[in-house]
Amino acid sequence: MASEKKYWKGFDELGNTPVAQKLAQNEFAEDLPVEAILGDGALLESSNTSRRDFLKFVGFSTAAATLAACENPIVESIPYVVKPDAITPGIPNYYATSYVDGQDFASVLIKTREGRPIKVEPGDKGFFNSGTTARAQASVLSLYDSARLSSPVKGEEASDWKKVEAALKSAVEKSKTEGKTFTLLTSSVFSPSTKGVIERMRGAYENFNHVQWDAASVSQKLDVWEALTGNRALPFYDLKSAKVIVSVGEDFLDGGMAQQLASDYAVGRKPGAGMSRHYQFESNLSMTGSNADQRVKVKASEYGAALAYLYNQVSGASVRVGALSADAKKVLDKAAKDLVAHKGASVVFSGGNIGANEHLAAAINAALSNIGTTVQAGKSVYVAQGNDLSLSNLASDLKAGRVGALVVWGANPAYAAPGFADLIKKATFSLALTDRLDETASLCTYSAPVPHYLESWNDYTPVAGHYAVAQPTIAPLFDSKPAQEVLMSLLGDATLYKDVVRSAVAARGLSVNAILHDGGVQLSDGASGAGSGAAAKALAGASVAAEEAAKAATGEWEVVFYQKAVGAGFQANNPWLHELPDPISRVTWDNYVTISAADALKLGVENTSESNGAINGSCLTLTVNGTTLERVPAWIQPGQAAGTLGLALGYGRTKVGKVADNVGVNAYSLMKSGSAYAVAKVTLAEDEHEFASVQLGNTMMGRKIVNETTLATFLADSTGKSWNEKAEFHTLEGSVKANEANLWPDHDHKTLHMWNMSIDLNSCIGCGACVVACHIENNVPVVGKDEVRRFRDMHWLRIDRYYSSDTSHESAEADGVGVMAKYAAMEVPSASPEVVFQPVMCQHCNHAPCETVCPVAATTHSQEGLNHMTYNRCIGTRYCANNCPYKVRRFNWFNYMKNDKFTGVNPSQDDLGRMVLNPDVTVRSRGVMEKCSFCIQRIQYAKLEAKKKGEPMVDGAFTTACAQACSTGALSFGDVNNAKSAVAAVKQDARAYHLLEEVGTQPSVFYQSKVRNQA
Amino acid sequence: MHTTDSKPLVRALYDDDDVVLGAVKELRAQGVAVKEVYSPFPIHGLDKAMGLKDTRIAMAAFMYGLLGLTTIVTITYYQMIVDWPMNIGGKPNATWGWNMPAFVPVLFELTVFFTAHLMVWTFFVLNGLYPGRAPQNPDPRTTDDKFMIEVEDGDHVVDLLKKTGAIEITHA
Amino acid sequence: MHYESPVREPLVLGNKTYHDITLDVVRPVESTAPKAWWIAFSIALAMFLWGVGAILWTIANGIGSWGLNKTVGWAWDITNFVWWVGIGHAGTLISAVLLLFRQKWRMSINRSAEAMTIFSVIQAGLFPVIHMGRVWVAYFVLPIPNQFGSLWVNFNSPLLWDVFALSTYLSVSTVFWYVGLIPDFAMIRDRAINPIQKHIYRILSFGWGGKAKHWQRFEEVSLVLAGLATPLVLSVHTIVSMDFATSVIPGWHTTIFPPYFVAGAIFSGFAMVQTLLIIVRKLFKMEDYITIQHIEMMNIIIMVTGSIVGVAYITELFIAYYSGVEYEQYAFLNRATGPYWWAYWSMMTCNVFSPQFMWSKKLRTNLVFTFIISIVVNIGMWFERFVIIVTSLHRDYLPSSWAMFSPSSIDIAFYMGTIGFFFVLFLLYARTFPVIAQAELKTILKSSGASQKKHHTEDDHAHH
Repeated sequence: MASEKKYWKGFDELGNTPVAQKLAQNEFAEDLPVEAILGDGALLESSNTSRRDFLKFVGFSTAAATLAACENPIVESIPYVVKPDAITPGIPNYYATSYVDGQDFASVLIKTREGRPIKVEPGDKGFFNSGTTARAQASVLSLYDSARLSSPVKGEEASDWKKVEAALKSAVEKSKTEGKTFTLLTSSVFSPSTKGVIERMRGAYENFNHVQWDAASVSQKLDVWEALTGNRALPFYDLKSAKVIVSVGEDFLDGGMAQQLASDYAVGRKPGAGMSRHYQFESNLSMTGSNADQRVKVKASEYGAALAYLYNQVSGASVRVGALSADAKKVLDKAAKDLVAHKGASVVFSGGNIGANEHLAAAINAALSNIGTTVQAGKSVYVAQGNDLSLSNLASDLKAGRVGALVVWGANPAYAAPGFADLIKKATFSLALTDRLDETASLCTYSAPVPHYLESWNDYTPVAGHYAVAQPTIAPLFDSKPAQEVLMSLLGDATLYKDVVRSAVAARGLSVNAILHDGGVQLSDGASGAGSGAAAKALAGASVAAEEAAKAATGEWEVVFYQKAVGAGFQANNPWLHELPDPISRVTWDNYVTISAADALKLGVENTSESNGAINGSCLTLTVNGTTLERVPAWIQPGQAAGTLGLALGYGRTKVGKVADNVGVNAYSLMKSGSAYAVAKVTLAEDEHEFASVQLGNTMMGRKIVNETTLATFLADSTGKSWNEKAEFHTLEGSVKANEANLWPDHDHKTLHMWNMSIDLNSCIGCGACVVACHIENNVPVVGKDEVRRFRDMHWLRIDRYYSSDTSHESAEADGVGVMAKYAAMEVPSASPEVVFQPVMCQHCNHAPCETVCPVAATTHSQEGLNHMTYNRCIGTRYCANNCPYKVRRFNWFNYMKNDKFTGVNPSQDDLGRMVLNPDVTVRSRGVMEKCSFCIQRIQYAKLEAKKKGEPMVDGAFTTACAQACSTGALSFGDVNNAKSAVAAVKQDARAYHLLEEVGTQPSVFYQSKVRNQA
Repeated sequence: MHTTDSKPLVRALYDDDDVVLGAVKELRAQGVAVKEVYSPFPIHGLDKAMGLKDTRIAMAAFMYGLLGLTTIVTITYYQMIVDWPMNIGGKPNATWGWNMPAFVPVLFELTVFFTAHLMVWTFFVLNGLYPGRAPQNPDPRTTDDKFMIEVEDGDHVVDLLKKTGAIEITHA
Repeated sequence: MHYESPVREPLVLGNKTYHDITLDVVRPVESTAPKAWWIAFSIALAMFLWGVGAILWTIANGIGSWGLNKTVGWAWDITNFVWWVGIGHAGTLISAVLLLFRQKWRMSINRSAEAMTIFSVIQAGLFPVIHMGRVWVAYFVLPIPNQFGSLWVNFNSPLLWDVFALSTYLSVSTVFWYVGLIPDFAMIRDRAINPIQKHIYRILSFGWGGKAKHWQRFEEVSLVLAGLATPLVLSVHTIVSMDFATSVIPGWHTTIFPPYFVAGAIFSGFAMVQTLLIIVRKLFKMEDYITIQHIEMMNIIIMVTGSIVGVAYITELFIAYYSGVEYEQYAFLNRATGPYWWAYWSMMTCNVFSPQFMWSKKLRTNLVFTFIISIVVNIGMWFERFVIIVTSLHRDYLPSSWAMFSPSSIDIAFYMGTIGFFFVLFLLYARTFPVIAQAELKTILKSSGASQKKHHTEDDHAHH
């Protein structure tokens, strides 16, 4: 807007004096005498302003001009006086370290930019657990959580480390004199150096005892394996070689398990001869269950019976078998046959923290001589160490007032152990070494901050034979202190824990630098003799276990506990994990009981849809021996076993932070010492709950969206003609493949790169790590429950989940069902559905409907086959999104960075949270469209790297954030113009097909048909 | 028109269009130069009777149309094909001809736009019409229900006018 | 001299002279406004301000304040846009097409019809602008060089075609309207006593004096403009329909749209003309000019176009079935039986069934009934656009992305606001403009005036 106003610069100009006129004509009186100086050599010699000085001036003035030109004022920018040699602005640094959040372990790489960790990426050394789960991916944000405790506090008022250590010291001394105990309560400790410190405590204080306890406990399983191998640790499962997998209630693919099994599982799931077969017997429709070839609904109380029955079938023994449904038996028979046929190459899992069941599973594996092959009892996994018994002992000690000094570190009993909240106060002195003032810390005398794993040093033995280290990737953000140092201070030892770790490494005769570079070292394959006797012991104890299992408590309603993205709840304040839709229910920001449609009818539970599509659900009141959980929302879940209710742990926090306080209900309150399920009384409550589900249509409506076939058909026809029919257009020139039809000569996509992505629907298990990775990599805003409820989630990449329906076009025709009735019926998922997962991101169509309709050419096509989105050209008509058949475009409805509505959820609204933003990706303004870019920032970076090297790009030199995060290798990205690339190869695969190719969009993303290995 | 002329003018007022038409014919038959006729609405056949030439404004309009068409063809060709060709949804950007079908609506609209507006401007200019111009009709009644003939003065022009049914005669 | 067959009904009733016409036309301008007008005006103004509030709120907070979501990216905004454009069609149609066909009965209604056109196209124009996520860069849609150099618009986009179509349509119909107004302004100017009024009309009338040559050019210009406006008016809704027809969304991707939209536009346009003229007629005692015959004529057009639209609906259904395309078939089944069945059936009832009453002469000459139907029709036409836009979008290809739409209070306020704005403009027009093209009308007085016809039949040339 040009303005007519004229502002005079001074009275001279106003008076229009000669001076002013002169100035006006010649505003910059002196030009820089560049020519004069640089041109005349002699002058240069004589003059005392050297060329260097001149360049300095130029440099300064340019810099000044640049600064002056900056639109936004630069806040707190301090230039490097001496640039750290490690840090080059714009170039990321990677550090190998270990991700440990109290529940999981993973060997990871941390990407840092300008000294800030901004991304967690899978470890590249193939160590134990070197994949990244959704939780691992998201953990980087927990570092920048503004709810973290910044300095020691005593109750409400601020304190400091001196006071804390002094207070602890005196309390411990006092406890000794008073004959009370000095107790350290932690979650699982599998760090040798930390153990060392704890041992020193034990040595110094005879009244010291260490309680290890895990919120999501596997204590009883550990007891079993301790009995079998003499080693309190879970066995190492090797799924690579497993041809038959039977899981009774174990959700072994989801994060709940100490060992990551997804990648090995995927290896066996590749279609072809020798593809593994997976049976699942469970109550809740788990993510693992939805990947099974055959799934049977079984009540949690019948798990034992199922295992006992299976044991009899495979071993010919006749141990006691509890009540069990006929169809469960039918499938168990089939499973048994398969297992027997694959002795030594099969595996049986038992779910939940139930000793008897675990023993039966061990016995079955023993009978199948799997122990030592797929179940490596001798190779111990130490990630889970918790012991429920020791916690209940502590509880009674506290009750009896026998605890003089209680140090709680990395555990939150007040939240996760029912009744503990009142007991903590009974300790004479209590200190919480914690990351935030959580439910427990806020009850302790003192609370002091410990560093986040990205700020700390440590070493670990997560599994026998593997020695891992953790190193800080950023200086501590707060006045925190490693718990180990606090404990050592009791002994007057002021060594830094850092040095303890380094000397521990050195003591093992390892090079500190080498191990820090790799993030760990493989000392041995970890196999030990410990497991030798296990099989025999397992078989011997089978009948006793069966008796035990048959005693399983049962009732009309069994509440079966499970874990979602937030896991046991350690990262409950991480918005990325709440925004990530549940793989099965696709519900965000909630936990709820899942209930079968039949039971819902029985209880009068309803899930109704509002006029804007948002779903509301009835609430239930659950009562487990005396404890009542009020207004628990109920979600009608296909595949839920009758008489069971699934309830996720980790929600219902009250003192975790603004994101997750009072989100969901606390399932732990119904959980007695880590039990797998609880028998409950259930009544319908008055209240109605608002769900935020991202998916309304649950079935494929008879459309070819996920192309599916059975292994038999697949093997029978290797061309795929019969089971992967390609759409064709009938033109004057005869019929043309929909994917090649074109009205005009094609644009050239051959000379440069042509980026394509292959998505293998057999490998995708639906875990959602890719979704979170994409969320982080591309600065996707978090929009919170209310907006998700309005179907305004911003995920660039989503994992669609479809249930099978009992009605199909064929069946309807056979039963003579009318067309309206047919479609109505096809919308209804089957009561025990088959489930498919389909990751969908921008398909980068080469005939993109979105591009043609944009009035301002804000979205156009690149020669490399990318569908570009030009944010600063977009005017936000949303026409492109409407015209996208895949509905992958996302619109910025609000200014998520500023709008108060999102202060609670969007991390980038506070200075700390903003540090996680990826500097390579624009944060989109309000009113523009955004979508998957195939991580163009990574493409460009890799191209430049190659250019700097002066070499052609190598396949696999880089990949997109999603493909990188996928531990099952479902996503593969690359250049199809490079014949040697992996993606070029799979494009020719018989399973390959394009989503909605009959629309003629010619996508750059293609899918590999799903093959089920049904019996 | 009459401004260039030295001879004084006589203005006769009528109250019916048919009479005016007759009068004009009569006067011209008698060799009286009819300078101008003011009427509240168009009288069919009057221009013939006064011997006015046909207006060529329609031909001008046609030219404007051509101008508009050329303009938009140039714009589309320059912007889409020459200056910054882009692959938009795989549509052809190599030649204007290939891409033209997508431009048809715009071609039409701009042609109409030019024709209509330039023609109306021409109309205003030719007629010397512009906001706030002083009324061109000497007698306000000629926009209501009266009609006025303006002739050059001469001998027994007045009687002639009377004979043709003028209800009022004034000398300008 | 042109004679009118005595059999025809007179178009101007009551034995009018030229002067009577003048008096009748200037009466609203020279008299003070009736109470009814003030009431109507203040209601309209209130609604208008309500709408302004909604617009400001949207611009301040973002499109998120509407009911849209990731699946349904257009709903009330574009529904209202198309609805208003459609209404805007009758005006030009009446004045242009009927002029070409020498339909004299248009003369007493075309002025108001054109005014309605212009005012409703103004409303229509508001929506595509405000619905932009970044309205402050709306100028990006103009083919002008971008501040970063040569970054041009995309001439392949139907939305860009809309930009050209709408701006051409609005501006051309405005000049068409204004050229016709000039002689009438001149008439008011020459009568005006109040100096301020006289001055204003003097400015407005461009100094028109009704010279013979000027009249000659005037008629030529009107004729050419009519010749241009006719294809223009057809092109505008054709292009609007292409927003949908050129897309890939089942229910949008339909080649029948252009003719079907144009018919719909004429349909709703004439209905709106009815609504307005029946009011104007009462309010300003124009019964002699806007006669029952006019009403009837328009009712017949409404009936015919309504039936055309009906046929289009049926054709769509048939083609969907006949195409054998899974998605198309479901899209149309979903319209009729899905969650938005009520919208579909409201559309059917209002647009296809209700106009059929017009077969009965008794009903189509009944003012009250006509008035009701005219409103019903526009409700129906609103639902037509809603059905096309929302029910096609909310369930397209991938069931995983299916969603629902429900308007927010801002959506509603914005829509109501445009209705208010429309009536504000129209009421002001009715008070200050010659609502009847009197100059034009005077040319047909002799041929079609009541008294004159009588004289003709007596075969005597009456001179007043």
